[in-house]
Amino acid sequence: MTEWEYHTPPDIDETMSEHLGNFPRQPYMLIYAIRSAAALLLRAWMRVYHRLRVDGQENMPETGSFVLVCNHTSHLDTLSMLCSVPLKRLHQTFPAAAADYFFSSLPRSAVSAILINALPFDRKFRGAESLTVCSELLSNDGNVLIIFPEGTRTTTGELGRFRSGIGRLLAGKDLPVLPCHLDGGLRAWPKGKMIPRPFSLRLRIGAPRSYGHLEKTSESVRQICQELQESVAELGRRNT
Amino acid sequence: MMTISNALHNEIFLTYLAISGGLLGFAGVVLGILTAIGKKVSSIWKTYLGWLVMAPLVLGTIFLGRTATIIGVALLAIFGFKEFARATGLYDDWWLTGLVYLGIVLLGTASFVTDPRLGYPGWYGLFMASPAYVVGALLLVPILRNRAKGQLQQVALAIVGFIYFGWMFSHLGFLANSEFAYGYILYLIFAVEINDVAAFTCGKIFGKHKLRENISPNKTIEGAVGAICISLAVPWLLWFSFPHFEPWHLVVAGLVVGIGGQLGDLVISYIKRDIGIKDMGVVIQGHGGILDRVDSMIFVAPIFFHVVRWIHGIH
Repeated sequence: MTEWEYHTPPDIDETMSEHLGNFPRQPYMLIYAIRSAAALLLRAWMRVYHRLRVDGQENMPETGSFVLVCNHTSHLDTLSMLCSVPLKRLHQTFPAAAADYFFSSLPRSAVSAILINALPFDRKFRGAESLTVCSELLSNDGNVLIIFPEGTRTTTGELGRFRSGIGRLLAGKDLPVLPCHLDGGLRAWPKGKMIPRPFSLRLRIGAPRSYGHLEKTSESVRQICQELQESVAELGRRNT
Repeated sequence: MMTISNALHNEIFLTYLAISGGLLGFAGVVLGILTAIGKKVSSIWKTYLGWLVMAPLVLGTIFLGRTATIIGVALLAIFGFKEFARATGLYDDWWLTGLVYLGIVLLGTASFVTDPRLGYPGWYGLFMASPAYVVGALLLVPILRNRAKGQLQQVALAIVGFIYFGWMFSHLGFLANSEFAYGYILYLIFAVEINDVAAFTCGKIFGKHKLRENISPNKTIEGAVGAICISLAVPWLLWFSFPHFEPWHLVVAGLVVGIGGQLGDLVISYIKRDIGIKDMGVVIQGHGGILDRVDSMIFVAPIFFHVVRWIHGIH
């Protein structure tokens, strides 16, 4: 008789709080159920309260992994992007979130990991390591990564300089990346305010591109960042 | 019937409440003294703090009454089964795992509703028949998804999971329907814990010969025999829990806990050893997972239930 094979998950001796802060997270039925319910409520809320409109949804590839990059004016950016991906991809959609902010305490980790499905991104000390995690995530099929290459929320509405991480992630890979722009976020929920105000939002999703033809040099990284920054800015000009 | 107001006037419940408070206080003082004179007891402190959390939870649930007790046992069964499912990899199969969850909810419901024919609280017939329905449903899953590869292992794991961690353990919840619910449930919880501690302590003091060296190398024959002896004495001390018991009933109650408790421990031990893990999960600091905590009760509860039912009836 052949022996049975047990597929014990690697997180078997982790506590719940460790589980929420680590990445990749093992799938849990209860967490998926809560996240799905929250996503439905969020979609209804964003449509009604913020009258969210999404243009260019058809640009999203139907299969395979891809990256969404967006300007960053408020937390509504992440929420709008989450509402624009198809529901069946919800649990494969990971907004990269600053570990020092979104995973700083257990309640925050719980919201980030359970409701938002956030990927803890260490923007301070271990950026390279976090990029490797993103890279591995995208090498698996069907994952969506949401990144805000400015690295932090703007307080002026000006599009900030794109950090080099996104370039390093994309250079030399045939990985579709879609520039996006959300308009109205700054007015509806500026940094420092507790509660969003009912202003309307409009999300534009640009056409996919990829940078497989470029080698991973500092020159090409800079070029990718610049190109993406310009296309996000261009979508922004069309938005206003 | 278990309700809040009955609990307040129930001598059995109040006595157990006093005993637990006394034991926890006494243990705290002893540990405090040991720490003060410089003994290394930090791991025991962890276990003790775990008890400080668990004891109020368990007693509070029983205090809240029949509904809370049945729900509490069902939740323990669900999360206990989940630990088993994750450890074995059955959890990858959400259909089978979800069906077992539903099966445990069915057991909780059967324990809760009134018997439609006899009018007693708790539908005994449905409770006892549920393995037929749930096992039937589990066996259907591979047929519905038209898949054979690896299905026997997954279905077998799901059936063991449901019958052992779901159905057998849920007997504890069904006991909440008994006229002597407080006595039966609290006796079981106390006796099983005392049995665990006795096996450990007797093993430490007298242990020489290994009991089952390929399953659990730390258990000894001396520990097992000592635990059975102590468990045989416990029902006499806790006779007030079931004043209607005759002396030979006390012997049976002691044997069920003394033997069953250690068998339950060994069952979880060989499951863990076969899988190759140390603990079933991490829930309470110093106690491992749910299954590491309730392992003995899973084996004891159904046997105690049916022995008592055979002697006295359960209502």
